[in-house]
Amino acid sequence: MAEELQPKTTLGKSFPVKPKLKPKARTLSQTPESKYWSSFKTQQIQNLISSINSISFSQIPPHLFAAAHSASLTLFSSQTLSQHSVISSFKDVVSCSSFRSDGALLAASDLSGLIQVFDVKTRTPLRRLRSHSRPVHFVQYPFLDKLHVVSGGDDGIVKYWDVSSENVVLDLFGHKDYVRCGDCSPVNAEMFVTGSYDHTVKLWDVRVENSKSVMEVNHGKPIEDVMFLPSGGLAATAGGNSVKIWDLIGGGKLLYSMESHNKTVTSVCLGRFGNESGEEAMQYRILSVALDGYMKVFDYVNMKVTHSMRFPAPLMSVAFSPDGMTRVIGTSNGSIFAGRKKRENVESGLVNFWSLGRVEEPQKRLLRPTYFRYFQRGQIEKPSESDFLVVRPKKLKLGEHDKLLKKFRHKEALVCVLSGKNPENVVAVMEELVARRKLLKCVSNLDNEELGLLLSFLQKHSTIPRYSGLLMGLMKKVLEMRAEDIKASDILKSHIRNLKRSVEEEIRIQQSLQEIQGIISPLLRIAGRK
Amino acid sequence: MVIPSLLGQPTERNEKQHNIFAYVSVEDTRETTNPRKKKQPKPKPKPLHGRICKCNLTESRLAGGVTLAEMKVPQVITISPSGKYFGIRKHHKLLIWKVPDVESERMVMRKITMHHTKKMTVLAFHPTQRIVAAGDVTGRILIWRRFGDKTFAISDGLVDGNLMSSEEERPGVRDNDDADSCTTWHWHPSQVNVLNFSSDGAYLYSGGQEGVLVVWQLDTGKKKFLPRIGSPLLYFTYSPDPSLSSMSCADNQIHLLKMPSMEILKSISGIKLPCSVPEGYEALCRGIAFDQSAGLVALHTGNYCIQFYSLLDDRGISEVQVCERNHQPGDDVTVVVTLVALSQDGSMMSTAELKIAEEGIGGLVCLKFWASGSQNKEFSLSTVIYEPHRDAGISTVAFHPTRRLAVSSSYGGDFKVWICHDEFQQKDPMLQNSGWSCHAVGSYKKKAMTAAAFSADGSVLAVAAETLITLWDPDENVLVAVIGETLTPIMSLSFVGKSEYLVATSRGSKPQLSVWSMSKLSASWSYMLQIEAVATAVDASSFAVLALLPESPKCKELNGTVFQGRDGVILLFNATDPVPVASWSVRKAKGGFLAFLQVNPSSIQEYISDGKPPQTLLAYLNADHEYVLFDPYGEETHELSVIHREDLLASEESGQYGYASIYGELPEFQLKKNQATWTPSAPSEKPWETIFNGSSHNLPPLTKLCSAFLESLLEKRTAVVSD
Repeated sequence: MAEELQPKTTLGKSFPVKPKLKPKARTLSQTPESKYWSSFKTQQIQNLISSINSISFSQIPPHLFAAAHSASLTLFSSQTLSQHSVISSFKDVVSCSSFRSDGALLAASDLSGLIQVFDVKTRTPLRRLRSHSRPVHFVQYPFLDKLHVVSGGDDGIVKYWDVSSENVVLDLFGHKDYVRCGDCSPVNAEMFVTGSYDHTVKLWDVRVENSKSVMEVNHGKPIEDVMFLPSGGLAATAGGNSVKIWDLIGGGKLLYSMESHNKTVTSVCLGRFGNESGEEAMQYRILSVALDGYMKVFDYVNMKVTHSMRFPAPLMSVAFSPDGMTRVIGTSNGSIFAGRKKRENVESGLVNFWSLGRVEEPQKRLLRPTYFRYFQRGQIEKPSESDFLVVRPKKLKLGEHDKLLKKFRHKEALVCVLSGKNPENVVAVMEELVARRKLLKCVSNLDNEELGLLLSFLQKHSTIPRYSGLLMGLMKKVLEMRAEDIKASDILKSHIRNLKRSVEEEIRIQQSLQEIQGIISPLLRIAGRK
Repeated sequence: MVIPSLLGQPTERNEKQHNIFAYVSVEDTRETTNPRKKKQPKPKPKPLHGRICKCNLTESRLAGGVTLAEMKVPQVITISPSGKYFGIRKHHKLLIWKVPDVESERMVMRKITMHHTKKMTVLAFHPTQRIVAAGDVTGRILIWRRFGDKTFAISDGLVDGNLMSSEEERPGVRDNDDADSCTTWHWHPSQVNVLNFSSDGAYLYSGGQEGVLVVWQLDTGKKKFLPRIGSPLLYFTYSPDPSLSSMSCADNQIHLLKMPSMEILKSISGIKLPCSVPEGYEALCRGIAFDQSAGLVALHTGNYCIQFYSLLDDRGISEVQVCERNHQPGDDVTVVVTLVALSQDGSMMSTAELKIAEEGIGGLVCLKFWASGSQNKEFSLSTVIYEPHRDAGISTVAFHPTRRLAVSSSYGGDFKVWICHDEFQQKDPMLQNSGWSCHAVGSYKKKAMTAAAFSADGSVLAVAAETLITLWDPDENVLVAVIGETLTPIMSLSFVGKSEYLVATSRGSKPQLSVWSMSKLSASWSYMLQIEAVATAVDASSFAVLALLPESPKCKELNGTVFQGRDGVILLFNATDPVPVASWSVRKAKGGFLAFLQVNPSSIQEYISDGKPPQTLLAYLNADHEYVLFDPYGEETHELSVIHREDLLASEESGQYGYASIYGELPEFQLKKNQATWTPSAPSEKPWETIFNGSSHNLPPLTKLCSAFLESLLEKRTAVVSD
């Protein structure tokens, strides 16, 4: 109803002078996803020695995480991101660590080939598992299995240990090169995969008698990391600069190869996107880090990289806490980038909980004639639904220059925008003046001071590509028309000197750009020929 | 013609039956034939054509020998609302007569003259007092109060005691003009076209070339404005309802105004008239496009709008503001909408505008893409591209028939294929902003690209590089073939429906209409004809061209006899055959347009008498934007011009519920008036429709009816001669 009362006509409308539209980025600068991933408040933990070979989280809150660097293993609290404790009873560089599913024990391997099992609280080594003859790079507790450990070493053997007796239950042969990574199935305690530098990933099942791999897939590059996806039916492998997704149930079929890293992908882990309580169901993402310093978030449902972050060092390892609140990335130069999400939902829930207890509302103050609001009673009453709303026509906001243009005071309008701060408006007014055939007239009417304003504006902005088409032509005209005045005034001469300088600078830039163009154009020609 | 007694008090007329007299302003064309006239204006070099005569309406003859005034050109007589005075303007003078109380044939009329220094353009009488206002060409408004105190005083009872005002006390009155005072108001910068007193006499409305309605308070001279009407005002009338009045504008629009607040209640628009284009840019402007399926034409108007006008319904649908600039009707044109193109389904529009540089700086070419949300043709801006081909002008924009793809060709030597991004990003919710971006660029030997067209299935893009035609694959952007060549640069290209033929036209000293076969990649046939427009139907293999008749003296002679002043021919061709299927000759063909319109049979069925509606109609729009629709394939030509008029009026009335519910029913008078002054393009009557009205037993025998019916059709076809 409210709208019907208004005349629907374009007549009588006046248009203010508007600057040209700027080109918009084709993609939104922030998708909800990239917003989510950049909402982790990243904090740098420094002063660790050497590169961070591995990071692992405890499954049990408060989700401690262990970072393996040099010959020690540092435990951090994932809440405060502060150092919790250090385990340093290693003889060689620590390569890998894994918490047991109850979070009480921690297995860690080092390059001497020794695997040790620690009590997390006391940090004392409880068991030493020695059988690998070469450095061990992978050790992990199977899913919900407190008794066994899987390990793989540079001797190419995968071992299945009974921890309590320190005995090897199974030696799994088959890899022809270093075994550098592996992962245990998230749905089954008996199955795991290992990846090796012989380009293959093998799927093992300890229930199988002849200790041969159940399945093997060839990645095509030495494998740096391998991971089961939550269903247990898919696996992701990282090797070279690609991450590949495999369908294990479907016979080891390659589903997708993500090749957006420039250097070797060193580690992958599973990330979670979306909050648990929200409408959007939680989605899993693959986080991959590489030596090129990028962390990429890969959506393996849509097979698309959804976010990418750059860090100032080659990245070695990545881990994501099971509660989805902390993301830790280890670099090769001894620093850790730990990001933690703010816990908003829980806190607001707490507030709600407390506010429920308060039943009575804050008492309204009685309005008295001494109050200002006393005189405004009823004026801000909201319309009820059945009311007819007569909308006041929106008032057009006119800038100072618009008002002057409406009065045909062209020179004043130009001076008015020139003394303002917004170069877009200046150019817009100039364009309007061109359309009215008044710009050159205005220029010839400017007095010295105003001419100075114009010259300094032209000096600043005439080399900006968006404006240069108009401003460079105008500059020439101004210099032609007002040469006498400029010669007469020292201030104006200094403007001209500045202008000369910026012109020279621009010419230099153009020349170097042309050089670059000269370099690129043969390349483009070659690329186009293919 | 004015008839004073109609406006006079009705009581007078009841007393006795006397003759009704009319004063007519006529153009005397009998100058040479009538011997009686001859002797009067003999010594003058210029014969006086306009005369004011008195006419006895009751006996329907001229009152003998009474010629009130003579002038070079006939002038419109203006009568005061009270019916006591009437006047005309004659150069720098106003002539005012008083209507005698008791009229008779030989009555001597009293006359006064008001002098001014400028040419008068309009005059108006005050409804009750003796005040006359006149506007002149410079925009001044002069108001004489108490005119004719001396001359009319004796017989006029109204005169009061203040008659003795001396010469010195008459401010502003020239010479010996018979008025008490003369006031000059000068606000209008140019000629005053509209001058009208309000019905109670308190206000004076004026308007003119600059498109602003000014309301003057008569006593104080204070003024109020209704600005930005957008085109010169032509007429202004008020209705018996004092709160309502209407004005008409030069751009074929009527506005209903709510009076005290001067709000525009409603606008009724006819087809917009062609707008002026600055010198040297005429060739760039091809600002018209047809939506064949909906029967719409999109044409650009003076105030940077695109008007959508339904040719079938004969009414304006909507207007789209292309360029957000304030338009002043009087200004010289510096921003021009040069092109408009519509996609085949009418959902996308592209416009190109040109800002003309001031001494070489500040010129700008701008390409805009628009998308319509729904059926009502309300387009919203999707993408703006500044300088799409650097500073070169755009020659053509054409849309792909099925996909969201467009091509723009420029005189700068390249063409660009634009693609709309929601074509493939529609599913992705994260990328909200859709827009057009450049998909491919192509050029051929740096030649100016003068025209472009997609084939009916969209697999071939034909771009004219001056005299050659280059064929491209729009997806791969690969040059497929080059065919040519014509004698002069090609002006337009179009594929003939789904057939393999391509029609190219070129103008200049050696104009040419050529048809090219795509399968043989060679010319099929051609004519040396000056082609103004080409129309192709979507799925037929024939096309129509509008050809200008050559202007050589020999042809002119022929023109005079055969074509009777018609300067163009519409030729209907089958693409395979160089012999035209049909032809029609037309007037005002230069700057005209042609288009095939697809007709939805249900919409017009009831208006066609023979029951078989045509599938397609050919629309011809001439240089003055008058148009005609006809069935090019029919045995005899039906003129379907104004179809939905009655329906439209009904819908308009229903549209005024909001107003009517508050202020009561609108006076019927107003609407009738609008109807009468509506579009100049519509032939007014359709006699064949009424012939068959009535029940069948009342009708004369069919043999008689048939001839009458055919005759009526023949009469109608004034503008059309079939070959």
